[in-house]
Amino acid sequence: MTKSLMVKSRARLGNTSGANSASGRLPIFIFYGLLTIIVVLYSAPSIGVLLASFKSTSEISQVGVWTMPRAFDLANYIEAWNRGNAAIYIRNSFLVTLPATAVSISLGVLAGYTLSKLTFRGSNALFIFFVAGLFFPPQIALIPLFRIFNDLGLYDTLWSLIIIHVAFGIPICTLILKNFFAAVPTAIREAGIIDGANEWQILTRLMLPLSLPALAVLTTLQFTWIWNDFLWPVILIRSDEMRTVMVGLASLKGQYSVAYGVQSAMAVYASIPTLLVFVFFQRYFIRGLTFGSVKG
Amino acid sequence: MNKTRYWWATLFLIPPLSVYLAFVVFPLLSSFYYSLTDWNGFAVDYNFVGLKNFEKLFRDPLFSNAAGNTIIWTIAAIVIPTVAGLTLALAMYERGVFANFYKSLFYLPISLALAVIGQIWLWIYQPNWGLINTLLRGVGLDDLALAWLAKPQYALIGVIIAWAWQQTALSMVIFLAGLTAIPQELIEAAHIDGANYSQRVRRVIIPLLAPASVVVIALAVINSLKSFDVLYVMTRGGPFHSSDNLAMFMYNESFQKYNMGYGSAIAVVLFLITLAVIAVYFRQSANVERLYD
Repeated sequence: MTKSLMVKSRARLGNTSGANSASGRLPIFIFYGLLTIIVVLYSAPSIGVLLASFKSTSEISQVGVWTMPRAFDLANYIEAWNRGNAAIYIRNSFLVTLPATAVSISLGVLAGYTLSKLTFRGSNALFIFFVAGLFFPPQIALIPLFRIFNDLGLYDTLWSLIIIHVAFGIPICTLILKNFFAAVPTAIREAGIIDGANEWQILTRLMLPLSLPALAVLTTLQFTWIWNDFLWPVILIRSDEMRTVMVGLASLKGQYSVAYGVQSAMAVYASIPTLLVFVFFQRYFIRGLTFGSVKG
Repeated sequence: MNKTRYWWATLFLIPPLSVYLAFVVFPLLSSFYYSLTDWNGFAVDYNFVGLKNFEKLFRDPLFSNAAGNTIIWTIAAIVIPTVAGLTLALAMYERGVFANFYKSLFYLPISLALAVIGQIWLWIYQPNWGLINTLLRGVGLDDLALAWLAKPQYALIGVIIAWAWQQTALSMVIFLAGLTAIPQELIEAAHIDGANYSQRVRRVIIPLLAPASVVVIALAVINSLKSFDVLYVMTRGGPFHSSDNLAMFMYNESFQKYNMGYGSAIAVVLFLITLAVIAVYFRQSANVERLYD
């Protein structure tokens, strides 16, 4: 631990002198010039949607998407909100995403804590069994789940989506929380037991307060993935008033086939919640994405 | 003492395990069962048809078409996000605070939904005022300005590029994390020994990025097998099935034509392909780990 810290600080010092890694690379102004061009090209798709969302259909047909809008006209946003049902779709997305995020993480806490601190013969195999769910395309379970939710009478309800996202969230939540709890000193649990706490009290009063960073990582990941999901509402939702915002966006294409401005406004609405999560919790989000990819 | 511990372990595992078994494992295995039937999605009754669905599958030109496109997608997934992501990560590595702002811009597509990305990229390929055709006309190449997604020879690659746009950002994030984990001394030592930048990248940095590369490639391959949203929004597998992949083919057979037995057979094939990918992944990461021990 201390050794790696020392290595790091030495590396920092080395860099500030500019002696090592920067030499042999492009001069700084050429580098940023090139990078700016690449960033603009890379961001062009996102910029296009923003520009289009402020333009009327006639303006787009005259000058296209790739110019500044004549005015920052909010007509498309108002249209998408009122007649395009954006308000209903976004409400549905929140009604699915918030409980599914909370419950999948809670189940991950239970599994992760048990498989790291209450281990038993076969608990490692059980862990692999849980995590294996990460690898399989959900399409494989599509038809049987369609049938199950029909039989349960939950087809075309938000309940079906909540249950699906809880179930398919268990692998990633278990993986991250098990590894997190494994790094928490066992002495904490033992101290709790000596003080007469049971496992539930140890988990909720001692372990959970410690695991806030891991919970933050999982909240950002799960919120983003569930909010952005498209496949399940396509399969399990039929009526318009049950649609989540992603499916609402796709269905808008039929209704407003040439109203690109309204479609763009809807795409912006659909992206705002995950963009806000990204902007404010980027640190946790990135940590979650790189989780397990780097040793040490 | 130990008894109460097992009691708690059982109690804690019941909720996650039962949900996981009921809504992930059981349905996944049921696909094998349905693949042996001619269920149409509604009827109470259905017949067992043995392996007929699979026989039909391997004679179906639409299946070989979709399987071929899935392979193309997988190869593109191995190449494009890996090369582009590594290049960007190397460019951004240790560039200081200013580069962090650029990094965030590159990361941005990760938080966008693939359904939104599909929608956005329709704007890029749009025949009249799309970005590509606007640029081509701008430099006088009007003849090259095509209706890209309406052409069978370009539709699939058009969708793959839109998908790779997001996947590249994800690869870059992982490569950057991998770069930060490389001990600086190794790079410094190569520098002192007279290695120039490109030698250091090729001989020191890239070999040390092996663990990150395995993760990047595995993620890209698994995501390519799952890819559906972006395809659904952009082409729905058209024109003339030219951009169908297995996921889209399965969706069409099951939820458009209601051949759910047949669709389940496609799901089983997808399952077996995934299993093969996982086997390769674990062998590779075991190899990499042996290298480091």
